[in-house]
Amino acid sequence: MSPILPGERPKLSSRARLQKDKVTGKPILLYPEGILILNPTAHAIVTHCTGAETFEDIVAKLAAQYGASPEDLRADVTTCLDRFRSLNLLEMLA
Amino acid sequence: MSRPIPRPYSLLAEVTYRCPLHCPYCSNPTQFSRTAAELTRDEWKRVLDEAAELGALHVGFSGGEPLQRPDLAELVAASCAAGLYSNLITSAIGLSRPRAEELKAAGLDSVQISFQSDEEPLADRIAGTKSHASKLEAARLVREIGFPLTINIVLHRGNIARVARIVALAETLGAERLELANTQFYGWAFQNRSALLPTRDQIEDATAVALAAKNRLLGKMEILFVAPDYYGTRPKPCMNGWGNRHLTVNPVGDVLPCPTAGGIKSLRFENIREKPLRWIWTESESFNRFRGTEWMPEPCQSCEFREIDFGGCRCQAALLTGDAATTDPACSLSPFREQLTRFVESIQGATEKGFEADTSSVAYRENPA
Ligand SMILES: C[S@@+](CC[C@H](N)C(=O)[O-])C[C@H]1O[C@@H](n2cnc3c(N)ncnc32)[C@H](O)[C@@H]1O
Ligand code: SF4
Ligand code: SF4
Repeated sequence: MSPILPGERPKLSSRARLQKDKVTGKPILLYPEGILILNPTAHAIVTHCTGAETFEDIVAKLAAQYGASPEDLRADVTTCLDRFRSLNLLEMLA
Repeated sequence: MSRPIPRPYSLLAEVTYRCPLHCPYCSNPTQFSRTAAELTRDEWKRVLDEAAELGALHVGFSGGEPLQRPDLAELVAASCAAGLYSNLITSAIGLSRPRAEELKAAGLDSVQISFQSDEEPLADRIAGTKSHASKLEAARLVREIGFPLTINIVLHRGNIARVARIVALAETLGAERLELANTQFYGWAFQNRSALLPTRDQIEDATAVALAAKNRLLGKMEILFVAPDYYGTRPKPCMNGWGNRHLTVNPVGDVLPCPTAGGIKSLRFENIREKPLRWIWTESESFNRFRGTEWMPEPCQSCEFREIDFGGCRCQAALLTGDAATTDPACSLSPFREQLTRFVESIQGATEKGFEADTSSVAYRENPA
């Protein structure tokens, strides 16, 4: 996979559906043959993957939301997005 | 100490055993119930609701050929209302444009189409009927309508040399996921296993091709390569454990821990016409028989892998040893492994000619009477 560019806009694939698990109340991502149980950070990241926001927008918003520095967050967001990409759950819009 | 009963994550709804194709690798039972009637639409709706209530998140509509049921879209709509992520597992025979649009409107989430090969004459010979061309058309339609598409292909001696071309077909069709699934030997496949099992060389070649494709397509197409356990040393973690994550309801309403468990004759499976699904999942003898690790014999009982592979597959143990409560013979520690290895060795050197010219040595799948 190519590295994520700052101006790319991640968009959750139409294969994936975000919903709340009836049993645990936790956010989950459903896709063909798979389930991901999202932790709060991953959940926050997914909700920004609308195709409207760039990678840098997302990092900035989460930094504001969590009171963290964008430098610290960049690596975490990258890891999380790459995980979704490797499962073919994200489109990266130019 | 007994542990809490887990929740099911997925339901396989086998809505009919009827099918227009005759794949000799079909994992469906070779003998179908000749007396009981298929579940009605309302009975299926109840199953879907009760499964979601138990915690299931995924439903696969399968069979036989699920499109043989005219009320399929209504069942899809019911699964959607219950919050289940739905997948249609289909040969695509019968997937016309109106039908596909009806399913889309009902809320179907994704479609999985099985192919027999990447090219027509061989594919049709494997399916036992002309079907490849209409599958291609249906796959294009599925993408056009906007469903995520999975291509599934069951690999065996007659098509495994074609993995690279199969990957290319999946790419051309815009599939987002490709399952390269070596034949699992149950049902019709078990009966035909001498003709179907690939040679060791074939497996090695196919594994390398699949791995290269997987790396090349990472992020574009998810590729799953299922190796044949007959060549392994450890068994597959069948269904992630008996009664642990999955349940299957067959066309007449029997509730099974896996699609092929009906072949285990020492167990009596409950029927949804007689008992609520929750009771069957949590309380029934059939679901509890092989739950956890307490039922295990040696060598599993004292083995460090017992929580990882759960002693393998109960159906395979029953088929190969006559007793469902033994270690899966795919395990190198099974006392029955030698027998299985002898079978595997007996087909080395066989050619793929089976489906090329002469199909007299295979039994084609038949339909329920
Ligand atoms: C039994 S079929 C029923 C649905 C539909 N008729 C079809 O073929 O897609 C369900 C899935 O199992 C696959 N399958 C059938 N027999 C198999 C076997 N022996 N081992 C592994 N997969 C198998 C099929 O390719 C299909 O994807
Ligand atoms: S015969 Fe083929 S198409 Fe029909 S149910 Fe079996 S695998 Fe599916
Ligand atoms: S002995 Fe049993 S638990 Fe151990 S690897 Fe073999 S099948 Fe798995």
